[in-house]
Amino acid sequence: MKRETLWLQLRRAGALALVLLLWEGISALGWIDPFYAPPPSAIGGAIAELFVEGDIYEHLEATFGAALLGLFLGLIGGALLGFIAALLRPVAELLEPVMAMLNAIPRVILAPLFIIWLGIGIASKVALSFILVVVLTFFAVYNGIRDVDTRLVERVKTLGGGPLVLLREVYVPSVVAWVMGSLKVAVGFAFTGAVVGEFVASSRGLGYLLAFAQSTYNAALTFALIVLVLVFVMILFGLAGVLERYLLRWKYR
Amino acid sequence: MMLDIRGLQMSYGTEPVLENVDLEVKPGEFVSLIGPSGCGKSTLLRALMGLQKPSAGDVYLGLTRREIGLLFQDDALLPWRTARDNVALGLRIRGTAKAEARRTAMQWLDSVGLGQFGDRYPRELSGGQRKRVAIAQVLALRPKLLLMDEPFASLDAIVRHYLTEDLLDWVEKEHLTVLMVTHDLEEAVAVSDRVVLLGNGPRAHVKGRWEIDLPRPRDLLRVKEERQFAVTARALWDALSEEVRAPAARQRTETEAATP
Repeated sequence: MKRETLWLQLRRAGALALVLLLWEGISALGWIDPFYAPPPSAIGGAIAELFVEGDIYEHLEATFGAALLGLFLGLIGGALLGFIAALLRPVAELLEPVMAMLNAIPRVILAPLFIIWLGIGIASKVALSFILVVVLTFFAVYNGIRDVDTRLVERVKTLGGGPLVLLREVYVPSVVAWVMGSLKVAVGFAFTGAVVGEFVASSRGLGYLLAFAQSTYNAALTFALIVLVLVFVMILFGLAGVLERYLLRWKYR
Repeated sequence: MMLDIRGLQMSYGTEPVLENVDLEVKPGEFVSLIGPSGCGKSTLLRALMGLQKPSAGDVYLGLTRREIGLLFQDDALLPWRTARDNVALGLRIRGTAKAEARRTAMQWLDSVGLGQFGDRYPRELSGGQRKRVAIAQVLALRPKLLLMDEPFASLDAIVRHYLTEDLLDWVEKEHLTVLMVTHDLEEAVAVSDRVVLLGNGPRAHVKGRWEIDLPRPRDLLRVKEERQFAVTARALWDALSEEVRAPAARQRTETEAATP
């Protein structure tokens, strides 16, 4: 089984290498215009340059800071709101339509508003990340609690457990399971929020660099930045996966 | 009397599911409650556990609710707790210190034959093993009265047979009084001192009582060769099939009445 997954990964890596090689070759033959699609070597060069010159670090820091803070606040806020709404009917009556509406619209349209309210600094990016993540988490937790296994609730009750025991033994573990289930999507959302926010108006961040690259028609830099975002989100996905397998070890072991 | 129910009525909305049900269980007795599906057998147990309020009648319990153990049809173990911690849960709820609760839990897991499996999560156990954990969880609280709702319904025949045998052992060892809801007629006759037949719902009430005065403990296979087993099982079969067929007949009459 382990061997087979390794083999699969190897085949995938091989296929990717082949595509890059072909791309490089076609570029070298002059069949595609490097102005639109610079060869992988040029993109690699652009990435290397970013790190060698060292400018990239403050941008990475800005984007990561905004995305992670938005993710963290969004997860906590969504879980808390979902929890309260699931347990208190009047809160649900107020919150559910608002959340449903926010869920239906492309929430990135709020970016200009956040920039007017919070300025072009990190706060508006955190806000956009937050609003993307909080709605997702809210529904995961809200629906999750309402579907909590009633057999578990009754079991704990018949063993003599009160509301506190129910909370600790049934509701909180259930909520953790649902939040973990949407954690990877939330990571993606958080980065979308941060980068789009930077796109709209900022002085730092990968989104800012992307906007700069686009305005100067620098395709190599654009590709380089896309690759960077990809790599960092993949790393975070991996970390999210590790956390998920640890917290939900009762499911995965 | 350990349990005495008089004129019990249970309703969902305005429609009574159970009406005028009388049932008594003496200390040490093993009583089975059988009846057609959906007649309200489980509802009666819920009333005894205080999970649902009766709309009329009296329930007298000769013990406190803490002395009642309950086994559900589905094993409702916490999936995020190990077998040991699931068993310890009831003890923890009742104020036993963590280390002490875990030690006791391991002893009980051992006595249900799962001493090796304390660290397993429910997902990593078979259906029969999960059932044993659920049993250990209940027995660890040293109940006096055991209420069971088709405890082994979801298990295959062999597992079910051995689990029932073990359960009877524990009942004798712990001097438990038992009220079991089942729709398995033969099982009811084989294990019980008395079988009570609940009629068809809605407004179900007790349609008959059969005493099985074969000595306990019983050998589950041997007992089926006894003459009294055959006679009682047959009588119950007749009474139960009459109840099962009754709603069909009633429905026919209603349809005829509705057609002008």
